[in-house]
Formats: sequence, structure tokens, C-alpha cells
Amino acid sequence: MGGMHGFGPVEREADEPVFHEWWEAHAAALSLVTSFAGLRASGIRQAIESLDPATYLASSYYERWARSLEDALVGAGTLTAAEIDDRAATVAVGPTASEDTNPGMVGLVHAVLDSPCATSGVPVDGRFAVGDRVTVRRMAPAAHHRCPRYVRGVTGVVARAGTGWPHPGSDEPEAVYTVRFAMRDLWGHDAEAGHLYLDLWERYLT
Amino acid sequence: MSEHHHPSPVSPVERRVAAIEALLVEKGLITSDVVDAVIETYEHDVGPLRGARVVARAWVDGDYRARLLADGTRAVGELGLGGAEGEHLVVLENSPEVHNVVVCTLCSCYPWPVLGLPPRWYKSFAYRSRAVREPRAVLAEMGTTVPDDVEVRVWDSSAEVRYMVLPLRPAGTEGLAEDELVPLVTRDHMIGTAR
Repeated sequence: MGGMHGFGPVEREADEPVFHEWWEAHAAALSLVTSFAGLRASGIRQAIESLDPATYLASSYYERWARSLEDALVGAGTLTAAEIDDRAATVAVGPTASEDTNPGMVGLVHAVLDSPCATSGVPVDGRFAVGDRVTVRRMAPAAHHRCPRYVRGVTGVVARAGTGWPHPGSDEPEAVYTVRFAMRDLWGHDAEAGHLYLDLWERYLT
Repeated sequence: MSEHHHPSPVSPVERRVAAIEALLVEKGLITSDVVDAVIETYEHDVGPLRGARVVARAWVDGDYRARLLADGTRAVGELGLGGAEGEHLVVLENSPEVHNVVVCTLCSCYPWPVLGLPPRWYKSFAYRSRAVREPRAVLAEMGTTVPDDVEVRVWDSSAEVRYMVLPLRPAGTEGLAEDELVPLVTRDHMIGTAR
């Protein structure tokens, strides 16, 4: 999405609520709760970015969460598309209250969402050091990744190094670098002045 | 939509969310108190006031500021804050020479424990597409003109790090206490769309 033209001005809303509709809140909460409960085939970001591009662009933010929630539940066999279709035709629209409670899971929600946590990432000695010039590989991966199109082929300078995380789809930590790009190198001679910083896994760089 | 005073018609996505929730509850896979706990956390507890407390502390306490810039996750933990989407928080210091602004072009990554869930404009295609290409123009539209002699640094937080801006302490606030500084800090200051 970075750099695309034609989306117009940034529209802001005064006194915006956290959620505009009940189902937005529930799409978000169900996405998180089904993650905690191990009911999904894929994580939230991965599932959202796996939506087909036309659906993605035609959907609002929480519509994307809702669609990806459904995909992840169906993918894991937790629900079937047919039973969701059938139920959607007759359901009383609104939240469902259960008689059962799960205090242990409520405690987990507070621990995971609203409690101090350890700093993620592990020390990794990568191929590059702060100050090195690096170029983002030209590539078109089909699998989930975190390398925006607009930096591919562009050269920048490593601004931060030394920490690693597993790349999506991997369990092994891999060095991630914060790379500083000149706006002119990204967008051409008439670009604004200034710099852009982006975190990139080592596999994206040469 | 909130600008309407009558309820929106039932949409297909609304029906599907209702169906999914009903099925998960009936199968005994989830309980509604857990769903409610998530919603209440972000509607009532975790929001930009959290980040404003962090900023105010950093403005009055130089040692805290240094710890915050060295390891944001650990330093906000000192104030009892942290959680999902804040596991590796990096705090970006504005200065008279530098202005930082944060965007996520891939989804809408955002430091939830200090800012809550992101506003619609942050998630909009317009902000996500333009903030990396013409940040000065976007900021000017939003009411913040960054002087030409100030370097703009855009941070596209598309991987594991989540970013928050530590704004400049406003001139003339030297006499204010930490609690009095908190209300001066807005969400826009901490995203970098205000200076």
C-alpha cells in the first residue's frame, strides 16, 4: 500500500469511539480470543494479508478482521463455511451471551493485553552492521512476508542491528535491521526531503 | 456509522460475526465473559492516556527518559503498562532538529499498550499510502507544518517493533507538575501527526 496514489485526503473523525458498531468490537475480540484458545489456522495479521486483493481493498478495517477470522476458523476446522452460512441466514443479529464463564481465560486476557511484558527479540549476530549500505532484494514472494513493495531494489543504511525474530513461517530467530532510506532514493528527484526507516529481515537484504 | 442518528441496516458481515460468535459459544469453545473482557479492555482501560502518562514522566524525570529511549517495553512496564503489540516498543525522541512520524503500510501496526486501538484515519488507505511518500504534505493537511530546517523521519512499523513518538515538551510548561503535563499530550503527538 505504501506509495500508492489516488486514495485522497486523510479523513478524520472528531470524538471517534473505539468501535463504531457492535460487530466491530466482537470481530476484534473474537479474533484475539480464538488466538488465545488455539482455534485458528493462522495468526491475525497473516490471515488479513491473505485475503484476496479485491476483497481487501473493498473491505473496511474490521470487515477484514471479520473475514480473516472466518478464514482462520474454517482453515483450522473449528467451524465450516456451510454452518456459518446457514447460521448467518437465521441468526438474531447481536452478541451471544453464554451461561458458562471462564475466569481463567479472562485472567489470561488481562495478562496478555494489559500487563507489563518482557522485551521481545533475541540478540543475533547478522551479516550487516550499523552503518553498512544494504539493498533490498527484488522479489515477489507468494508466502506471507513483511517486505513492502516500495523499498524493493532501493539502497539504504543500517541504523539499528543486533536483534532478531523469527520470520513469518519460521521458528528460528533471524536478524532484523532498521534501515534508513533517503526519501529521494525511494520516490525520485522531486521527493520531499527527509528519511524513511523500516525494519527488514536479513533475507530481504543484500 | 456514528454520524447517523438511526441504526445502520444489518450488513452481511454483521450477520456473519453474529453467526460465528453464536456457533463458538454453543460449541463451548468460547465464553462471552472472555469476549467482553477484551472489548472492555480497549473501550475503557487501554488508550492514549496511558502513553500520555509515559510522556509526562519522561518530561519530568531525565533518568526515566533515558531508560525509556533505551528499552521502551521495559520502561513502560515500570508504570504497570505493557501487553500485546507492545512487546518491543521503541520510543522515538523528537528534537528541535528532528520530527518523527509513525505509519504501518502493511496492516496498521500500532503500539496498543500505550495508545490503545488505532483510530480510523491511521488505518485508512489514504494515510497508509501517503505517509511514507509525502509525510510533510499529510501532516500539513492535518494541521501541522514542519519547518523546512527540521528533518522528517517516517517510521513504517511493518515488522516486530512498535513505535511511539516522545514529543517535545511545550515551551512555558517548566512550572507544571507531571499530572498537569499529562493532559497536554495527545494521541497525535505520540503518532507524530502533531508536533
